Amino acid sequence: MSEAIQFNNVSLNYGSKNDVVEVLKRINFSVNSEEIISIVGPSGSGKTSIIMLASGLETATEGSIKINNEEIVGLKEDKLSEVRRKNIGIVFQSFYLIPNLTAIENVLLSLEANQKYNQDDDAKALLADFGLYHRLNHLPSELSGGEQQRVAIARALINKPKIILADEPTGNLDSANSASMMDLLFNYTKKSKTSLVMVTHDNSIAERCDRIIEIKDGQIV
Amino acid sequence: MVKLFNAQQLRLINKYAIRDFSRSYKKLWVVASTLFISLLLLSLTFSVKEALNNEIEANAKELLGGDIQITSGIDPLPSLVFEELKALGKVSSSIELATMVSKKGQSSVFSELRAVDDNYPLYGEIITTPQGAAEKIFLNTDKPTVLINESIQNLLQVEIGDDVVIMGKSFNVAGLVLSVPDLAERAVFGEFAIISKSSYDQFELSSAGSFLDHEYRLKFNNSNEEGEQTRLAKSIIAYDDTIETRLPGESGRSLNRIIDNFSNFLNLVSVSAMIIAGIGISNTLLSFVNQRNTSIAVKKSIGFSSNFIQLMYFYEIILILIGTSIIAYLFGVFSPLLANEFLPKSLGIDLQPTISLIGYLNIFFIGLLVVLIFSIPSLYSISEIKAVALFRNTFQPVSLNFSLKNIILLAILVTILTTYFVLQTDQKYYTVLYFLAFFITMLIFYGVSKLLIFFLRRLHKFSNNGYRIAYRNIVAKKSLAPIMTISLGIGLTLLLTLSFVANNLKKEISDSIPSMAPDLFFVSIDRDIKSDLEAFIKNIDPNVALEFSPMASASFISLNGTPIEEIVSKNNRSAWVVRGDRRISWAEKPKPDNPIIEGEWWEPGNEDEMFISMDSRAAYDLGMKINDKITLNILGRDVTGTLKNFREVDYRDISVNFAIIINKAFANKLPYEYIGTLKSDLSSNDILALVVERFPNVSAIKVDRILSQISGVLNKIFIAVTGISLIVIVIGLIVIVSAVMVQATFRRYNNLIYKILGVDFPTILKAMTIEFAVIYFTLIFFALSVAVLGSYLVVENTLQLTWKFDLGLTLWILLTTATVSFVLILMANKSIFSPKVYPLIRNE
Repeated sequence: MSEAIQFNNVSLNYGSKNDVVEVLKRINFSVNSEEIISIVGPSGSGKTSIIMLASGLETATEGSIKINNEEIVGLKEDKLSEVRRKNIGIVFQSFYLIPNLTAIENVLLSLEANQKYNQDDDAKALLADFGLYHRLNHLPSELSGGEQQRVAIARALINKPKIILADEPTGNLDSANSASMMDLLFNYTKKSKTSLVMVTHDNSIAERCDRIIEIKDGQIV
Repeated sequence: MVKLFNAQQLRLINKYAIRDFSRSYKKLWVVASTLFISLLLLSLTFSVKEALNNEIEANAKELLGGDIQITSGIDPLPSLVFEELKALGKVSSSIELATMVSKKGQSSVFSELRAVDDNYPLYGEIITTPQGAAEKIFLNTDKPTVLINESIQNLLQVEIGDDVVIMGKSFNVAGLVLSVPDLAERAVFGEFAIISKSSYDQFELSSAGSFLDHEYRLKFNNSNEEGEQTRLAKSIIAYDDTIETRLPGESGRSLNRIIDNFSNFLNLVSVSAMIIAGIGISNTLLSFVNQRNTSIAVKKSIGFSSNFIQLMYFYEIILILIGTSIIAYLFGVFSPLLANEFLPKSLGIDLQPTISLIGYLNIFFIGLLVVLIFSIPSLYSISEIKAVALFRNTFQPVSLNFSLKNIILLAILVTILTTYFVLQTDQKYYTVLYFLAFFITMLIFYGVSKLLIFFLRRLHKFSNNGYRIAYRNIVAKKSLAPIMTISLGIGLTLLLTLSFVANNLKKEISDSIPSMAPDLFFVSIDRDIKSDLEAFIKNIDPNVALEFSPMASASFISLNGTPIEEIVSKNNRSAWVVRGDRRISWAEKPKPDNPIIEGEWWEPGNEDEMFISMDSRAAYDLGMKINDKITLNILGRDVTGTLKNFREVDYRDISVNFAIIINKAFANKLPYEYIGTLKSDLSSNDILALVVERFPNVSAIKVDRILSQISGVLNKIFIAVTGISLIVIVIGLIVIVSAVMVQATFRRYNNLIYKILGVDFPTILKAMTIEFAVIYFTLIFFALSVAVLGSYLVVENTLQLTWKFDLGLTLWILLTTATVSFVLILMANKSIFSPKVYPLIRNE
């Protein structure tokens, strides 16, 4: 089984020379393809920072990060965007749908970023699978929180990425919505043979994953 | 993206931009409306100018009245020469002179009289009321007939069929001249009459002295060989250097020059309006980017690059530019039809709309430059939006991106914009100066806003809530101060400067000049009647101030042996002194109001040598030095004299002044006539009526008539100029209102907090009034300073008048602008006065 993500001695610092905040301290881990892992730990331990680094949206202070065996540390913005487009789908805690785009347009955005055009049927099918067929042309403001997150997950999955990075995807949902959302996410990642790295505070969700990585004070424990 | 911006991606950009635009157009109305107004102004200017130029070009022969025009001056062409010209085609000869047209025993008016033969006009036609009246002047009747223009009719109160007196002869008014094909300035702006040449010859109306021109117009037999025919015509008159020729292309030259200068001014005002609009565009785009902070971050997280997103928004702005520029251009294209309504009918010009791709591209290109200059710093801020903020939900508003790369890019674009304008005008120096002054003024006002914030921060201990809230609003990061100071400041400065210049000029014409100027100007007084005329007038009014100066015609040939046209360029400020025929005078002693500032006056006597005294300003402009050798052609003979001194000549009092004066001893040999002035406590109308009756050949210009004509033209120009500068203020106000609306959410939130804390509505209103007053009064100080300095330089240096400050006018402009601005700001702010608590608490 090949490795989808590799972190080797990765550190992340913020602040100036005299006032350095060490967010991550030389951490090492890898995620295999089709593996589902959860990252848990107390607030401020560095969980989300791992997702930020893995997505190429933040740059490691030192160390090496490989996505599908491609080193991403040191890449320029355009190249990082390309790696992200080809390999990664991100799900945020706050959904972050684009407010003036309808549900289907939000999903198509992900395909169009990859120069995949005229795939409206795929997007419709996916949203129908997510129980949103009747909401295709609704703006985010017309959707409930659970519906918005389902659109956000569909946006992350539509492009069939090799890795899904999810940052507390159920953090803004009630328990019923949360459970159905996780069912959806697990089923689809397994079905599409995708790796899933998920930050969560919810132990019940973490326990459903193949592996749990626990972070404390910027280190894996 | 694998490849940057391939065809499919461009289609995607197009799709996103159109979708975004269609769903967010309300937020872009400021960009669209300010762009439209400034492009419309530019388009109107270009279109009317192009239509006028086209009209002049298309009717070049009508405007000249022939294929070639020959002017022989005071003397007619010899009959042999005339016959030779006739062999080339049809010839129309005419005589133009300035003389008095009177209603017998009553009022008189100084008019241009054109005596024409029956071949006139060779091209086009004379439009008259009643129709066909032009033919009557050629009929051989007992009483000769004349065509007069509406201005003479109004001044003399005569009707068609009445009699008027010209040089002592009675003429019957056959009709009114509405227009003549060849441009006659006085037909448009003054008094103009036409008689037949046979009447002129028959009645020996020949004592018009040096204010007389013999003109010949030719219509070639063979129009296919115009070049050759023109060459032949020129060779026939080559024997005399003083005979001038004009070709059709040159006929509308003076009109063209006026159009060019005025349209250049309008273009500069338009581009100023556009630059202020640019400030609004920049501000709107920045707030647009900040409002879309999350969407941009999401797009980045999905994999869109900053370049892609920037290009999408650039494309959106370009779409707006294309739309607004097309509409503005189409409005502009049809504006000549409207302009026809405002042009004097006597010009005989009928402007036609012309659609041309080049014309549109010209407008678009200027709009594109301005849009790029002002959108680059806003849209490049997109690169500062980080997608990682999506994880932390910590979005910081971005600010204008002035990286070194952007500064270089902006400098290049500003240079292209300036150069583009400079290359299109003859007034390159003034255009560069204007742009320089404009950009410096912009920087000054930006500095003013920063200075205001700086000082307020040091004086922030206010004990009153209204003052504290106003203070916080001004020093806040999203303060209105910079944008209001720059956009309103520039508009106000422009309006104040133009109003000060206009007001000074109008006051000089309406107040200062009439008090100094004579009442009447006598032109070309025959020296044989000078003494009788003088005695006659003194008999009417013993206290009259009469001044007569001798006068002869001369033309400038060379300076130190070099032909003058090789030394003096057309654009030289004093080129008029050495161009064409010029009246010179002579004197034994210098006039007291013409002090010598360099060199010395000459000793009396020495009739064999010519000494010359020059107007100092003209002499310096033309590069002359004391003891230079100047050759003048006086009455057909070249005479070389020595330049002895420079005089300071003040032309403002409209007394008799000459740029060139020679020594009396030498001049005594010349044939000459007199020019004179009269100032009296009696009515100039009455004196003139008596003089014209007794001396029918004397011509006199009433100064108040000339001044009222100038005032009339100036008033129209100033109304237009003020109206145009008001457009700059209107755009400034739109920009301010948009800035207020952009801040509305922020202000609403603040006001809600104040409301929760117990601050009442009057306090919020008071705070807003104080905020406006502080910014406006700071702005006034600098706008007034720049306007005073600018108008002072123009009035004192360029117009050579005495600059005076008009407090009433200043207060009127400042109060009106303040009231309109404040009311608009209140209207734009109306939603923040009573913020609804619920949506804000729910963060909706």
